[in-house]
Amino acid sequence: MNNFFDLKLVELGRWIEAFFADFPSLKLVVHLLLCTLPLALSFMGAFAFTTWLERKGLARIQNRPGPNRVGIFGLLQPIADGIKMLIKEDIVPERSDKLFHFLAPIMLMIPALIGVGFLPLGDGLHALPLDSAIIFFFAISSLNTIAVFMAGWSSRNKYSLLGGMRAVAQMISYEIPLVLSAVAVIMIAGSLNAQEVVASQQISSWVGSGNILQEFFGRILGWNVFKPWGFAGFIFFFVAALAEANRSPFDLPEADSEIIAGHLTEYSGFKYAIFFMGEYISAFAIAGIGVTLFLGGWNGPVFSGLPWFVLKLFSLFAVMIWIRGTLPRLRVDQLMGYAWKFLFPLAILNIFLAGFYHFIERQWGTAIAMLAGWILGFGALQLAATALSRLNQSPIMRSKRVYQLVE
Amino acid sequence: MSLLAKGILKGMAVTAKNFFQSYYRKERLPTVQYPEEKSTITPFTRNFPFLLYDGDDAVDGMRCTACTLCERACPPQCIYIIKDKDEKGKPILRPRIFDIDTSVCMSCQLCVEVCPYEAIRMDSAFELSNENRFEGLLINRGDLLKSNDYYHALNPVEARETDDRIAAKNALAEAKKKARQKKTRLAAAKAKRPPSRLKKSPPAREKPPQPEKSE
Amino acid sequence: MNIAFYLLALVAVLGAGLAITLRNVVHAVFSVLLFFSALAGLFLLMLAEFIAAVQVLVYIGSVGILMLFAIMLTTNVMGDPNRPVRSRGWVWGGLAVIALLAGVLLPLISRTGGQTPTPLSDFNPSVKQLGMVLMDPYFASVGVIALLLTAGLIGAVVAATGASEADQKKTVPANRPNYPNT
Ligand code: SF4
Ligand code: SF4
Repeated sequence: MNNFFDLKLVELGRWIEAFFADFPSLKLVVHLLLCTLPLALSFMGAFAFTTWLERKGLARIQNRPGPNRVGIFGLLQPIADGIKMLIKEDIVPERSDKLFHFLAPIMLMIPALIGVGFLPLGDGLHALPLDSAIIFFFAISSLNTIAVFMAGWSSRNKYSLLGGMRAVAQMISYEIPLVLSAVAVIMIAGSLNAQEVVASQQISSWVGSGNILQEFFGRILGWNVFKPWGFAGFIFFFVAALAEANRSPFDLPEADSEIIAGHLTEYSGFKYAIFFMGEYISAFAIAGIGVTLFLGGWNGPVFSGLPWFVLKLFSLFAVMIWIRGTLPRLRVDQLMGYAWKFLFPLAILNIFLAGFYHFIERQWGTAIAMLAGWILGFGALQLAATALSRLNQSPIMRSKRVYQLVE
Repeated sequence: MSLLAKGILKGMAVTAKNFFQSYYRKERLPTVQYPEEKSTITPFTRNFPFLLYDGDDAVDGMRCTACTLCERACPPQCIYIIKDKDEKGKPILRPRIFDIDTSVCMSCQLCVEVCPYEAIRMDSAFELSNENRFEGLLINRGDLLKSNDYYHALNPVEARETDDRIAAKNALAEAKKKARQKKTRLAAAKAKRPPSRLKKSPPAREKPPQPEKSE
Repeated sequence: MNIAFYLLALVAVLGAGLAITLRNVVHAVFSVLLFFSALAGLFLLMLAEFIAAVQVLVYIGSVGILMLFAIMLTTNVMGDPNRPVRSRGWVWGGLAVIALLAGVLLPLISRTGGQTPTPLSDFNPSVKQLGMVLMDPYFASVGVIALLLTAGLIGAVVAATGASEADQKKTVPANRPNYPNT
C-alpha cells in the first residue's frame, strides 16, 4: 500500500500527458500546467477549508457554534465569503501609491505559491525538485516581507505604515531562528534537497526489512522530532514560523485592536481576499516545510505519501489555530527580545547539539546517542533556556513584588 | 523556559477543555439558534414599553393621564405625547397621541420608573422588526395599549404587586375623600348659615378622576 | 533559453536604469530589487541555483529590506523637486562606467570569441559539489569567517542586552512600586 496514492497520481499525470504526445511544444505546456495548476488549486481549496476550520475551531474554543448557516455545518461559508468579497467595492485611498497598492497582494500571492512548490508532497509529487529546494524555500518566503512593506507603505495610512514597520522588523528577526533551526536538520541530512531530507527521516534498515512491526515504526520513529535536537529545533522552528506567518500570538503587524489591521487597513474587496489568501498559503507553506524538516515529511506507516503529508499539515495548522485561540498578543519589545535574546542563542546551541548527537551516533550507535542527547543535550538546552530567561528578566521582575495598593 | 511553557500548556489545556466540552455539554454551548429556537423569556425580560389599560375598552380604561413625566424622563427622547381634548376643547386626562420610537428606545425602563400611575410597563416581546423603516418602527397608542390581563400573563408577580398598590392607593384616596366629605359635612353642619362654605366642596368632587377608577 | 536570457537581461537593465533615474526613493529601491531578482533569474538560467537562492535570500530578503526599513523612516520620499535628477558631473561618471565596461567586459567577450560555449555533457552542478569545492580547500577561512560573523551577531545581541539593562538599573529607584513587566 505504500506510496499508493502518489504513484496513482503520477500515473494519472502521465496518462493525461500521453494525449499530447504528438505535439511536443503543447506537451511541455501541459506538463507545466500539470505540475503547477493542481498544486495551486488544491492549496487555494485548502485555504478555503482552513478559514472554515479556523472559524469553527475558534468558535468552539469560545463556546460558540461558529458558522453553521451556509451548507451543512457551514461548510459552504468560504464560498459565501468569497462571493461577498468579490462583489464588494474596491476602495483605493486617494493619496496612496496606486501601483504599489495594486501590486502588494500579488507580490504576496506569488511567492506564497512558489514556496508551496518547493514542498515534497509525496513520492514523486514535487513541483520544483531543485537540489537546493530548502534554501530556495527560505529565500522565497523572505519575499513576503516586501509585499507587506509595499502594502503598508503605499496605503498612506499611519496604521498601515506602523503595521508594515512591525512586519518588517518581526519577519527579519524571526527569519534567523527559523533558518538556524532548519540548519541542524540540513546538517544531519547532509542535503538541501527536500526529498533527501524526507528520506533521511526513516530508519532505513527497518523500512525495507519486511517485518511488519519494523516497517510500521521505521516510518515513524525516524522523524526528526523524536530526536533531542530535532524536538528542540521543532519548537524553535514552530515559534519562529508562527511569527513569520504573522499568526497569533505574533500577529502584531495586523493587530486589529491596536492598529486596526496594520497593512490591511486600506484593503477591501478582492484585493483584501487575495492578501488574506496569500497569508494563509504562506502559512501553509511554512507549516509544510516544518512537516518536511521535522515531522518526517510524507513518511508514515500504511498510506505513506500524500495522505500523511496532508494529515500532518492540517494537524500542524490545527495547533496554530489552537494557539490562536489561547494566547494573547505579545508586546513589540517582548517580541523582538524573544527572537534575539532567547530563540537565537538557543537555536545556535541546538546546532552544536545536533553535531554532538551526530558524532556520538556515528561513534557508539543510536541508542547511546539518544540517551546522551535526551539527558545531556536536552539538559544543556534547558539550562541555557533557564539562564537566558533569567538574564533577560529586567531587574524589577527579579525582585520581589510589592503591592502598594493591596493591603 | 519551563515556566513559560508551563503557563502556555495550562492555557492550552483550558481552551482544549472548552473546545471538547462544547460538543457534549449544554452549558458550554449557550448560543441559541434564533429563528428556529427562541431564547427563554423570564418574567423580568424587558425590551420595550407598553401602556396598560383596565377593563375592556382600551381607550376608556387607559391608566395614562398624559402627565408627560415619562416623555421628559426618557433619555433618548423617544416618547411623544399629545394630550386629548373633548369636543368642547376641554382637556381630558388622557393622551390623544402616544408614540414610542422602537428604533430609538434603549430599553432603559426609566419611563416605567417615573410613571406615578403605573400606566406604563416593559414588555418582553422582541420581534419588533418591520419592513417600513419610518412608520413601521414608530409604535402608536393603539398598538401600545395592552390589557392588565396581558400584564398578568407576562409577569404575574409584579402585576399582582402593582394591582395591590393601586388598590391600596385607591383605598387611601377613598378614605381621604370620605374623611374630607365628612369634614365638609361637619363643617356644613357646624356653620349652616353661610352658604358660601358649600362652594368649597367642588375640589372634593373633582378629585375622583385622578386615581383611576378601581376595577 | 536565449529568449529568456534576453528578457531577463532587459529587466535587469531596466531595473538598474530606473533605480538611478526615479525620483521616488521607495520606487528606486524597488527597481533595485527588480534588478536583483532578474539577476537571480539569470543565475538560474546558468543552472547556478544555489547562487540564485542566495541572491534572493541575501540581496532581496535582507539588503533590500534593510534599505526599505531605512527609507520607511524618511518623511519626504520625493526629495527636493527643484533639483535635477542628473548630477552635474554625470558625463564623467558615464565615461568612467564605459571605460570600466570596456576594460573588464570586452576582454572577456573577446576570449570567448562571441560564440556560446558548448555545454558540458556531464555538467551537473549540485550544492554538494559546491560545498566540496568551497569547503575542502578553504575550510579554514570559511570557518573563520563563519565564526567571525556569528561572534558579531552574538556581540550585537549582547551589546543590546547590556545597554538596556544598564539603563534600567540607572532609572529604576530601589523602592518604586513594582509594576510587572516594566
Ligand atoms: S425604556 Fe427608556 S428609552 Fe425606552 S421609552 Fe422608556 S424611557 Fe425611553
Ligand atoms: S405613561 Fe405614566 S408617566 Fe407617561 S404620560 Fe402616561 S401617566 Fe404620565
